[in-house]
Amino acid sequence: MRTYFTEVLARERACLAEVTDRTMLADWRRGVVKELMTPQSPYVLALRQTGSVRDRADFLDGWRGLISGTVDRLLQSGATGGTLCSSAQSPNSDVDAQKIAVLILAALHGGSTLSRLARDPRPLNDALDLALAWADQDNSLAKTGTSSSTSKIV
Amino acid sequence: MTTLDARNGRRLTARGEKTRARIVAAAADLINVQGVGATTLDDVILASGVSKSQLYHHFAGKDALVRAVVDHVGERIIQRERDALGHVSTIQGLRRWRDALVQNNALRHGAYGCALGSLASEVSDQDDAARRAASQLFIEWQELLAGVLHRLQDGGALPPEASIDQLATGLMGALQGGYMLAQTARDVTPMATSIDMALAHIESLHKHEVGQRQRPAVEQVQ
Repeated sequence: MRTYFTEVLARERACLAEVTDRTMLADWRRGVVKELMTPQSPYVLALRQTGSVRDRADFLDGWRGLISGTVDRLLQSGATGGTLCSSAQSPNSDVDAQKIAVLILAALHGGSTLSRLARDPRPLNDALDLALAWADQDNSLAKTGTSSSTSKIV
Repeated sequence: MTTLDARNGRRLTARGEKTRARIVAAAADLINVQGVGATTLDDVILASGVSKSQLYHHFAGKDALVRAVVDHVGERIIQRERDALGHVSTIQGLRRWRDALVQNNALRHGAYGCALGSLASEVSDQDDAARRAASQLFIEWQELLAGVLHRLQDGGALPPEASIDQLATGLMGALQGGYMLAQTARDVTPMATSIDMALAHIESLHKHEVGQRQRPAVEQVQ
């Protein structure tokens, strides 16, 4: 179990470090969705509710920290638009980044569970659309109303 | 008096029905606490106080029992959610729904997660019939959320173009993921944060639209 955690964290550390704008965030998202829709991927195995709770908690904390760092960087740099970015200049941007990271991690976790259950990537994509809407300059969730996601921030 | 057992088509006496219900309730409690994998039929026999032959009279094996538990847990949750969401038509109402879920989960430090979500993630790779049943229950639950969002839209609290089904699925993902994060952290804070952020986004769609509508008006005045 630990090896999955270590592998996913190492890959996420490398992938998220490269994200400096919306396009790269979209690339990251595509990569994670692909992993989460692949049975036996280390990502799928790492998110199973089995094994040591403490190891899993450390893994999720580590992943959340990496996501939060990337979100904070994007908010600070103004590389994204959207509703929550107005607070980027405020002292609360770090708080925003941490809360957004919790929502993104929840979307990955809950969305992939629903997708595995439905044998369909749409629930995961819908969950990520909502979780990543802050990065979407045109707030296209509100504007389009089309079916799933690939044309939005991804 | 007899009733028809939905699964095997056999007629059950009132006593048989009671025994079956006792077995399913005991199995549901055990599975909620220790998971499907760690729950044996011997555990269920002990916890329900029935004999082995009684259990096998009602269920061919563990898979059949787990399917009955999925139905039982799903029915309870759908009923709870129908009561909670059936008449909600405001963001404040959705926040009250969120408060109740978080509060209920906090009583146990989030340790058991969502009974249906935990069950679903365990059966999804093991038993296709149970997977399909759980998937259908989530569709029903999401339809209740979509009903609320439609009422918000009808009342003008969501823009007409907002894709309700996608938002309902997204909100369900945030809710289920929140339960799972809380379960691992033994703390409901991440669950509360996750739902709050999802609801903040839904609310922002209205504000965003109002902002868009007001902008040209300002330009005209200038």
